[in-house]
Amino acid sequence: MTIRTARPNRVQEFRPRMHCLKKLEAFVVEMQDPKNGVKGSDQKLNVTTIPHVLAGNAIIAWIANKMKTTTEEANVFGTMLVAYGYIYPLENHRKLVMCNDASLYRFQAPYFWPSQKWVPQDSDYAIYLAKRNIRKKGMLEPYEEAHYNHLHEWLNHKWDFIVMQAAEQYKAGRDRMKPDRVVFDCQERAFWIVNRPPRRTHSALECVPERLLDPNVEEKISFDQHRRMHIFYQQAIMRSKVKSSVSIGALVKYITTYKNHDPFLAPCLPSNPWQTDNDSYWTLNMRRVEVPTKMRVERWSFSLFELLTDLRGRDDFKVFLKKEFSGENLAFWEAAEELKWGTASSMSAKAETIFKTFLAPGAPRWINIDGRTMGLTVKGLEHPHRYVLEAAQTHVFMLMKKDTFFRYLKSPTYKDIQKKAQNPEAHNFSPAQLEQNACNRSPGIDPIILWQQEEEEKAKAAAASAPVDVKAMMSKIDRKK
Amino acid sequence: MGKEECKTMLDALSKVTACYRHLVIAMGSTSDSQNLREELKKTRKKAQELAVANRTKLTSLLKDKTISKEDRAEYERLWVLFSSCMELLEVDMKRSLEIGQDFPLKVPTRHLIQTGMTGSTTAVAARAMSVQNMKYEADSNIDTADLRELQSEISQVSQMMEEMEMKVQVAPWAVEAKQEAGAELKSNLSVGNSSVGVISICEEEPKEEEGGRGSRDTGFASICAVVGFFVIVIVAVVLGYLVVNMS
Repeated sequence: MTIRTARPNRVQEFRPRMHCLKKLEAFVVEMQDPKNGVKGSDQKLNVTTIPHVLAGNAIIAWIANKMKTTTEEANVFGTMLVAYGYIYPLENHRKLVMCNDASLYRFQAPYFWPSQKWVPQDSDYAIYLAKRNIRKKGMLEPYEEAHYNHLHEWLNHKWDFIVMQAAEQYKAGRDRMKPDRVVFDCQERAFWIVNRPPRRTHSALECVPERLLDPNVEEKISFDQHRRMHIFYQQAIMRSKVKSSVSIGALVKYITTYKNHDPFLAPCLPSNPWQTDNDSYWTLNMRRVEVPTKMRVERWSFSLFELLTDLRGRDDFKVFLKKEFSGENLAFWEAAEELKWGTASSMSAKAETIFKTFLAPGAPRWINIDGRTMGLTVKGLEHPHRYVLEAAQTHVFMLMKKDTFFRYLKSPTYKDIQKKAQNPEAHNFSPAQLEQNACNRSPGIDPIILWQQEEEEKAKAAAASAPVDVKAMMSKIDRKK
Repeated sequence: MGKEECKTMLDALSKVTACYRHLVIAMGSTSDSQNLREELKKTRKKAQELAVANRTKLTSLLKDKTISKEDRAEYERLWVLFSSCMELLEVDMKRSLEIGQDFPLKVPTRHLIQTGMTGSTTAVAARAMSVQNMKYEADSNIDTADLRELQSEISQVSQMMEEMEMKVQVAPWAVEAKQEAGAELKSNLSVGNSSVGVISICEEEPKEEEGGRGSRDTGFASICAVVGFFVIVIVAVVLGYLVVNMS
């Protein structure tokens, strides 16, 4: 029996092709032209002088000139060059941006350029961290320490090799001249900042998922695929289309209504949990919170659909309907939803109860739908399936939307909850506090507990809304007497 | 004993791999030159010789069924060291082929990247070859001519690694490392006083001391100066004594 070790297939790991890389490389080589390229100067570090250092504004001016664009575009392009790792900043080395001022940059060696083929390996990173450990005499940065300990744990079988290789590379590095040593260390550090970015550093080399197909192989389309594509396009031509003026108008209306509620476009209060690792936003917007937030209440007024999909809003609506004694529409709508989403085995039982409660003539919660729909639904209920109540549900939804919803928005219930709604303060975390938050992330409430709470609530609601048994009531009163 | 030999050979291979990596990093930048390409070629050949020697030794040791369990564990550890070294070497060789093809030295439109490195890598190569001075004797088109050889060497190395895996059954994940975390700090590397100062910042003021053990040249120069000083002092003392005697 032979043991095949999973040799890391470093040649082709089927990473997505980044088409920009070849073009960027050609661009960077052009920048090196001694006559027409970017002019570098020398950097003085006490006694040593290191050549080939560039100012940010020089680079941006050259790019703007070469590509014939505005300075802002050239600035963005320059920032992308830094984010990909072709140029690295000398001063603020963690911030991968190109500033249009006299800050200093230098070109990265071709070995450290990004490429589709060569993935920076964890063993290489471990060797780098070990070397840095030697140089800094054990004082690594906190994120580096975390990486180091993690790698020591899972690369443990290679650890002797890593230590040995780090020592050898360190000794070999000392054989170079001093300015070269400085440059080499800066280069390596810049490379690993781009490929293993510390917190809050944004490099362009995200870890993308690897593909199963080789993106560098051109695929041939077969005759059958061509035939199917042909049929598809013919059918697409024959479909009726909505005028773009109409659809764009609808899109604009949607955006103007929702733009303050989108956490990408407007900051959400108190703070976006994905950015600040503080989950008060989620706790304030839970299912059964007593006092909802103002944004949530505002959202309920957008449409009946918003009101009903937010379960807290639905509760509020139910309270209003109870006062008006017109809860049967909503009850029917909820029952129809349950039928649609419920299990197949419970469907016939549910259909029976729905018929008895809502649709039969003289039922306790009879809904008022037109004759035709009623006839269709009752006929369908003989052989019930998931969507048998679809027509009736839509009709009821329309009734609620056209009538009850607007009355709700003007009602004292809604106005009351608008007044009571809370508006949380925006958080303002300092970077140190953000680090703290990141370390203290809690796992959140167990979904089993949430489910149990739901079940209890449902049981209570069922008990409360069961039709009152008059005889039992009377007998109780008699007994009391 | 077999173990000591193995260890020394592995140390040598590790040293050569480290030097090769330094050389490949210098490729394509302003410190690239004909000499560098020749150094790469020589280092590569040396690495291959060492690799073959290591492999034969280790395979023969591991195939031996009569060794004890601790010995076997030790040999497996050395085997993992060897195979990791070879992986690193293979990757570096492939990368040097790529960079060599992208940056031919004689084409004037293909400029070398101004990385700030301008010094030569002679000392590194000398360290790899374990000689005092490097001799350069290759002809001027080594950068293109060498690439074909490099390709064949890469395929040789890949083949060797495949064979290695088929013949020797070592589970690399079962090997326990002898070094613990932070072991590199205890190794007797006198962390150069100069390096720490200058390099750890490009922002703050470097507190540099004198070249220290940086390069052998400055050390030698300072020793020369001290010796010269003492010679002059002795001559002065002798002359003074003679003058005093004369009068």
